[in-house]
Amino acid sequence: MANMNGWAGKILRVDLTNGRVRTEDTARYVPKYIGGKGIATRIAWEELKPGVKAYDPENPLMFMTGPFAGTLAPTSGRGIVCAVSPRAYPLEWFTYSGTGGLWAPELKYAGFDGVVIKGNSEKPVYLWIHDGKAEIRDAEKLWGLGAFSTQTRIKAEQGDQTQVLCIGPAGENRVVYATIQHRLSNASGNAGFGAVMGAKKLKAIAIRGTGGVKVADPDEFISACTEVADLIKAGPTWAVIGTPPGPDTVSCTHACPVQCCTMMRKDDPTKLEVGSGTRNMMKHCVDPMYSWGWERTEYPTKYIKEQYTGDIFTRPTKAFGEEIGSELQVIGEGLGMSGWNYVNNYCWISACVDNGITELNGHKLEPDNPEFWRDLLYKIAYRKGIGDILADSLVRACERLDLPDILKKHAHWQEPMWGFASHRLGRAAESQPSPIWIYTMCHWITDSRDPLQSHHQSSWAEYWFPPHHGAGSPDTEFSKVKATFARAFGTGEVIEPGFGHIKEKTRAAAYLGNRANLKDSLLVCDWCFPRLLSGFMSKEELKAARDYYGDLDAETKMFVPLTGLNMSTADLVKAGERVRNLDRALHVRNYNRNREMDSTAEWIFEYPEKSDGSKLDSAMFNKIVDNFYEARGWDKKTGWPTRAKLEALDLGDVADELASIGRLA
Amino acid sequence: MSEQKKVTRREFVRDFAVITGGAAVGAGLSKEALAEVQVVKEIAKCGMVVHDPDLCRGCKICEVACSAYHDGACSSYLSRIHVAANDLDLVFSGLVCSQCDSPSCYFACPKKDQALCIDKETGARYINQDECGGCGKCAAACPLPEAPIWFKTVKGKEVAFKCDLCRGRAAGPICVELCPRKALRFEERRG
Repeated sequence: MANMNGWAGKILRVDLTNGRVRTEDTARYVPKYIGGKGIATRIAWEELKPGVKAYDPENPLMFMTGPFAGTLAPTSGRGIVCAVSPRAYPLEWFTYSGTGGLWAPELKYAGFDGVVIKGNSEKPVYLWIHDGKAEIRDAEKLWGLGAFSTQTRIKAEQGDQTQVLCIGPAGENRVVYATIQHRLSNASGNAGFGAVMGAKKLKAIAIRGTGGVKVADPDEFISACTEVADLIKAGPTWAVIGTPPGPDTVSCTHACPVQCCTMMRKDDPTKLEVGSGTRNMMKHCVDPMYSWGWERTEYPTKYIKEQYTGDIFTRPTKAFGEEIGSELQVIGEGLGMSGWNYVNNYCWISACVDNGITELNGHKLEPDNPEFWRDLLYKIAYRKGIGDILADSLVRACERLDLPDILKKHAHWQEPMWGFASHRLGRAAESQPSPIWIYTMCHWITDSRDPLQSHHQSSWAEYWFPPHHGAGSPDTEFSKVKATFARAFGTGEVIEPGFGHIKEKTRAAAYLGNRANLKDSLLVCDWCFPRLLSGFMSKEELKAARDYYGDLDAETKMFVPLTGLNMSTADLVKAGERVRNLDRALHVRNYNRNREMDSTAEWIFEYPEKSDGSKLDSAMFNKIVDNFYEARGWDKKTGWPTRAKLEALDLGDVADELASIGRLA
Repeated sequence: MSEQKKVTRREFVRDFAVITGGAAVGAGLSKEALAEVQVVKEIAKCGMVVHDPDLCRGCKICEVACSAYHDGACSSYLSRIHVAANDLDLVFSGLVCSQCDSPSCYFACPKKDQALCIDKETGARYINQDECGGCGKCAAACPLPEAPIWFKTVKGKEVAFKCDLCRGRAAGPICVELCPRKALRFEERRG
């Protein structure tokens, strides 16, 4: 055990090209960058040169944990993967993708806060990390296996309690949405980092550790964790009224004490026993889309049909029922492929059929036929026929296919920004009444991927709204929602419906963005933190509450006794803001990110929002961007960070480097 | 009468083996151990933490709570209760000391009452690390299929550690208190 509280103390450095393994001290990066995404972004700033693409040996594939990983802090199984993503569009660029499970705690117990993997191996290998050591081992016999078999084989070799991260055939064949799989259903999904592992010929990472995470003040830490577990007992922040953990569900992550709908089910072992031997799966969100469909993808809805005269339609995805749905899902997981591809591809292929395109390169399109999907999943994973084209994402597929413009536009509708699937941007996939989609838009247009994997807190405020299309609660009182936001932001105007108070709303968006970056650095569950909105266990409790405020100091209360560092919530949020600005600086330096690039998706927001019909004209879009940049301390004209902001965040060296290439405001 | 008593005790141990280890003890107690049963009358009986694999969902909060409380560090491997999580089949089996009425570990300890001790208040069979020499006789004597006694190095010295029912903690075993699934319970045994 190293002499740090909270952190393990070492970061593992691996070069697969020359087989060298070394370690460096975590103290070089913390507490300034906290951990997780923070450390990874700093390493990228120092070591990732402009022009490095996803499959280049120079691409640093980083598996990061934070101080909370492996501790009693609720949901402390979270880890994050960072690298240049092959999916990012139009430029392959640096981004992030979180996972749950047990690998992050195991890595800490093995003595490491993170692993940075550079180089590409010539032969298939896996990385065996155990108690302060790491070995690169032959994986010739594992190459070609599915994600479940790979884990089973490695566990047979290294012991049952070994934690394994691995890729399936989709990763080996560089499908741009190939996942890194872990346990039954945990995955680092959308960013396509499975394909980066494939390019590195890294089949798996196996971890076993017998150390521990030192706690500075155990009594205080236990008491804080108990208090926070009680605070989040209602579950994710969308759960206005929560339920206690049920007997048939398994949490997705270490030390998670709550019930939520991403859990794996463990009820009838025969009902779901298919394919690769798994019998349990994540119940909600992405994975059961084959089973249940995704109704809310329908666009436009009856609510706004009268006023909508646009050209793009999406639709609910086909529900194939539990039996077929489970089978398709398990096939996808075994192949190591993100479940989101079904929503995107379904809607787009259906649009093809609607527009008279019934086959692509001789492949008949039958999106409502489960056989079509069973076949297509394999074709994508092994890059056969049409699968080879779809494996590169829809927007890239459209560049290779001769198709009507409307279908190219539709592909961009499905993958609206940076090549990532539509996800809570208030348009194609899910409703977000104003002003909530204003928050999410600010994150979307300035981030490097679909940012809502880290910003559910922003978008889930809609569940506390009065009932509207798709969401909202009949049990909440909007005056109390406003009172809650007033406690957090000094004014309830930040949550007022409509387009007033843009300055206040964009400031709140920036604050929540800082919290998201802190969350991805500590790391804790995005669904449960930060606890701006509480959660109740009964209607009576909800009704009796003065407002719905949770506790924005929850992370701090655990961080201080864990690490022994006397940091305030303001200090921690500042660290989150530092990480966000460093990421921005990296994108400005390496990819020439600027206001023009941020504005490329403006057209998306000119379509009416589903629940209230709200949409943007160019003047309002620019007003929001102006205000958001101002809240961020970025230059309005260019979108670059300012020296004043970077220096205030102790990033003077970053400012100097941006100035040297003429990209500092 | 004496014979009857021995059988009862053997079943007793076996039953707890089923609860905690998932398999019955194949062999009975050794002659030596049986002789020691006579001494058992003088040892206070003690409750135990019981793990219910049907309710457990492998979150491992018990492990990190236990190690944080006892060792000031969160770790599955310093914990005195272990949950073996089979991630692919979602089978969670717990392993924790049964606090046997007839504690073979206690009898096997060469420094009985100094290293392996009986807590006067709770009856917990616990290990005093200052005195423990890490000889491993306690673990070898344990009748459970897998001994819930582990070893670690403290100040350069090998010592054994096991569940002590959080002796001295007013609220009782911390793992029981913090288990979000109520898969752990403290079961009293008296008499």
